[in-house]
Amino acid sequence: MKLNSAFLTHDDNGQKLIVSTGASKFAGLVRSNEPAGFIIGCLEQETTLSEITEKMAARYDAPKDVIERDVKNIIDQLRKIGAIDE
Amino acid sequence: MKKNYKIADKVIEVTSIYNGVHEYCKDYLTDEKADFSIEITPDDIKYEKQKSDSEYAYEGLPMPNFSEGLLEETAVYRKIAEKMPDYDTVVFHDSVIAVDGQAYLFTARSGTGKSTHTRLWREYLGDRAVMVNDDKPMLRITDSGVTAYGTPYNGKHRLGTNTAAPLRAICILTRGDKNSIARIGRSDAYDMILQQVYRPKDPLQMIKTLNLVDKLTERVLLYKLACNMDISAAEVAYNSMKG
Repeated sequence: MKLNSAFLTHDDNGQKLIVSTGASKFAGLVRSNEPAGFIIGCLEQETTLSEITEKMAARYDAPKDVIERDVKNIIDQLRKIGAIDE
Repeated sequence: MKKNYKIADKVIEVTSIYNGVHEYCKDYLTDEKADFSIEITPDDIKYEKQKSDSEYAYEGLPMPNFSEGLLEETAVYRKIAEKMPDYDTVVFHDSVIAVDGQAYLFTARSGTGKSTHTRLWREYLGDRAVMVNDDKPMLRITDSGVTAYGTPYNGKHRLGTNTAAPLRAICILTRGDKNSIARIGRSDAYDMILQQVYRPKDPLQMIKTLNLVDKLTERVLLYKLACNMDISAAEVAYNSMKG
């Protein structure tokens, strides 16, 4: 999976934003906290749920199942606005 | 039909199917050599129809019946807006008024009263106030400052002038019982500004747009105004923003 090409990431004073281009039906922006920003950063290249979970586990001190649940949750929210290419 | 127009200091050759757009843009006609050209196809008009139909459907309104000529007017500006980031310029949805040669930009969610507020400025300041554009002006954003330009696309009341003025401030409007204005920081203005700027379909042009928006928020003063519809709203806003 990967971030859809109608969505861009942009750095706003250290905070990661997702902004839709005019090609998307979603016309808004998504602000993220640091871990969500990290997940979004992973999605800039083709990746998988387990790959992102691995990278998150190497970065954050939390049980893997909790991390995987959180990653899934973020991806589901992005999916809802059409930001994920499967 | 092919004619050249000078908008925001750039000359654009516009080739259209219908004549309406040329009538609409006639105040900006030029004989100068084009910097770039755009051409409308039937597919561009179809795209505008789909877009306006889906926006009306989303609002729960009956389907509009815009003529193809009218849809073409929008298609022309969309094509121009897609290209303008190449010239450090963006199209912005707002109302811009100039006083004593300095421009002030008001932006808000649709229906808040941008046009009403700039009308109050004209009533309060009389001939000193010149309407730059009441709907979709352009902003050229460079290291030396921001310039607001009038464009033919100046809203349903056709309020605007083929002119340019350095932009002093951006003000986010909200409705209030009493009038109050305050300086705000970049982070308080950023999301609204990003909502009101034209978003190109081409990701590269969108990246340029985002970088221009970043620069815009650093180069002008930012305010938030809560206002009613009394002329004192203009007095409060102008006297705080004029410096």
